[in-house]
Amino acid sequence: MANHVSINSSDHQNLKVITERSEEYGDNVWFTLTFPTEFRSVQAYYPIFFNKDQGTGQFFSVALFGFQDNENLFLSNNQWDAAYIPLSITRQPFLIGVQKVVEDGTDQEQRVLHIDLEHPRVNKEKGEALFLEFGGNTPYLDNAADMLETLHHGLIDSKLFIDMLIEHELLESFTLDVTLNDESKNQMVGFYTINEDKLKELSSDTLTLLHDKGYLQAIYMTIASQSNIRTLMNKKNEQLGL
Amino acid sequence: MNKPLKKIVIVGGGSAGWLTAGIIAAEHATSENFGLEITLVESATVAPIGVGEGTWPSMRSTLKKMGISETEFLIECDASFKQGSKFTNWMTNTNEHYYHPFTMPNGFNDINLAPYWQPFSDKISFADAVCEQSHLGTHNLAPKQITTAEYSFAVNYGYHLDAGKFGQFLQKHCTIKLGVKHVIDHVIKINASTTGDIESITTAQNGDIAGDLFIDCTGTASILLAKHYKIPFISKKHILFNDSALAVHVPYESEECPIASFTSSTAQTSGWIWDIGIPSRRGVGYTYSSAHISDTRAEEELRNHIIPLMGKKSADAAMIRKIGLNPGHREKFWHKNCVAVGMAAGFIEPLEASALALIELSAKMISEQLPVNRQTMDIVAKRFNEKFLHRWENIVDFLKLHYVLSKRTDSDYWCDNRNETQLPEKLQEQLALWQYQTPYKYDAIHTEEMFPPASFQFVLYGMGFMTQTPHKKRIDQSSKAESLFNDNVQKTKQLLSSLPTNRELINKIKKYGLPKL
Repeated sequence: MANHVSINSSDHQNLKVITERSEEYGDNVWFTLTFPTEFRSVQAYYPIFFNKDQGTGQFFSVALFGFQDNENLFLSNNQWDAAYIPLSITRQPFLIGVQKVVEDGTDQEQRVLHIDLEHPRVNKEKGEALFLEFGGNTPYLDNAADMLETLHHGLIDSKLFIDMLIEHELLESFTLDVTLNDESKNQMVGFYTINEDKLKELSSDTLTLLHDKGYLQAIYMTIASQSNIRTLMNKKNEQLGL
Repeated sequence: MNKPLKKIVIVGGGSAGWLTAGIIAAEHATSENFGLEITLVESATVAPIGVGEGTWPSMRSTLKKMGISETEFLIECDASFKQGSKFTNWMTNTNEHYYHPFTMPNGFNDINLAPYWQPFSDKISFADAVCEQSHLGTHNLAPKQITTAEYSFAVNYGYHLDAGKFGQFLQKHCTIKLGVKHVIDHVIKINASTTGDIESITTAQNGDIAGDLFIDCTGTASILLAKHYKIPFISKKHILFNDSALAVHVPYESEECPIASFTSSTAQTSGWIWDIGIPSRRGVGYTYSSAHISDTRAEEELRNHIIPLMGKKSADAAMIRKIGLNPGHREKFWHKNCVAVGMAAGFIEPLEASALALIELSAKMISEQLPVNRQTMDIVAKRFNEKFLHRWENIVDFLKLHYVLSKRTDSDYWCDNRNETQLPEKLQEQLALWQYQTPYKYDAIHTEEMFPPASFQFVLYGMGFMTQTPHKKRIDQSSKAESLFNDNVQKTKQLLSSLPTNRELINKIKKYGLPKL
């Protein structure tokens, strides 16, 4: 069970966070949330697709790490074999909470840094400290706060991005057929990608609109990222000794 | 005669008028220079009757084609999902029930499961054995998940909706998005040309409105087809007795009360009571034969029925609205340059909710077969009349089937319903045939039948009809049937564990909307 609390130096003075990458710490996920402003870094290593949230039916973009549940092909020997790890992974065990504050006599919502005390990374023995010995945040904690701000704004932007993709019918569902070296076949359903035929038909006005918001670049990054499926397949073949 | 058809005038609003306007406008371009001009004239003082709060699955494609967002439709029309009808006490009045779901029996195109189910009829109901939908009904489950795209489904569905809100919603869509002109005015005169065609209608404030085709959607008033053209009415009261209805709104006890997935129809002494759940309330009503029960007695039966739903005090105080019904239809529906849609064409009691479906089918044929000019209109009209006469007959036969199969003897109403002299000939023949063979593909005479053979199966075997198939056939599909029965058990299990309730899904849709794809 998760236990989210807002971070403060008195209660959490001695907390540490393990930064190794392994199954033990919940890194064995087959995809994670990503967002357009992160696409440039993500597309260098992972295929980017779109997926629906099971609880809300809302679309979000994901970076793919494997072909089935609990399979992260980038994970080996307590290492993550890629130079960039998406923010929605590196932010663990931190998250953003909302606190109601009264400012100038009006109720306002303020984002505050929370931590999941039950997360397997959180302990008192090893890893990165949150606070300096004599008070004050460690650079690690400040960095985590920055990361969550980026993630927060990135996800707001992502919703606008996806709304535009849907409006212009630029999303289409597809089935990914993966054939491994031993001819065994795996099929992945439920993912969506850019409809390139529709993309080609867009009017110059729409293209300008997408370009002005930086979404045209995100669209092409998404398309380009598909070549990483090959990387994933190679890793899978290698893991299976094929 | 070769003048191109350019102007359509629809007289009357309500679901019939606006659905017709929307279906035609969605297919044809509407602009004044080229394409069609569609004008809908409705009088402000005639309140449309909220007919049929249940739709068929066909409504999904109708709305989709009109470019309507299903999310907006569900929220603005206070709509929920309908997966079929549930009939209680129709057979023996011993609290028994059966389902007529919107899903066809599994593998229906390849195999007729009915004869393979019959030996097990005492162990499992027909609907439960051949499809998963009836199982979902017991738990008030939705036909889809929040991740399912608009108009897509896990199991087939139509809607339960607030008919008043539906009319307003369609009006907004037709006038804002589809370029339908809206004139609110009284029609005071109909002006005919020398050929007998309607040239124009005269309105109180807006003068004459001319048109090439006039669509009569004026409800039972039927001011063009019946009043102006005097097209005779063919009564079906001798077959389907119900000529009166009492309607009442029943509130939910709380906002989280389940919303039923099926229209419930509970047989009474002299008719039956419908119960339709929409998100904000239930619509309940008694449709009955005035020859068999007095209005006062009928009202008593209805109030007794709603006491368990809302408590005695509220049930006694509930406002009940009386509606007169005249079962039957016009001798023809398209005459000269005038075609009637909805109650202007005819009306049959709401059992199996065919009213809105018939409007959709009428408008669809008018739109798809729209005569290019006056010359071809008579041919289209003839075909339209033939097709829809058959459809009305098909509805009458199918509704009558529900009554003749009953074993109830507790009132004259049920006994009179089984009187063979009033049985339509075709139904008599079918019943004779079905003694020895199960209804299947040959029982669909026309394409796009109102009620396909699968529906006959659900009602026949739901009501305990037995078909004797006398000899063993060389081609034995029993192993295939068995595997379909087993698949159904698996599929049902999986759906029961993955589908949300109607209430849960509606609440989520209000919050997030359904995805477009």
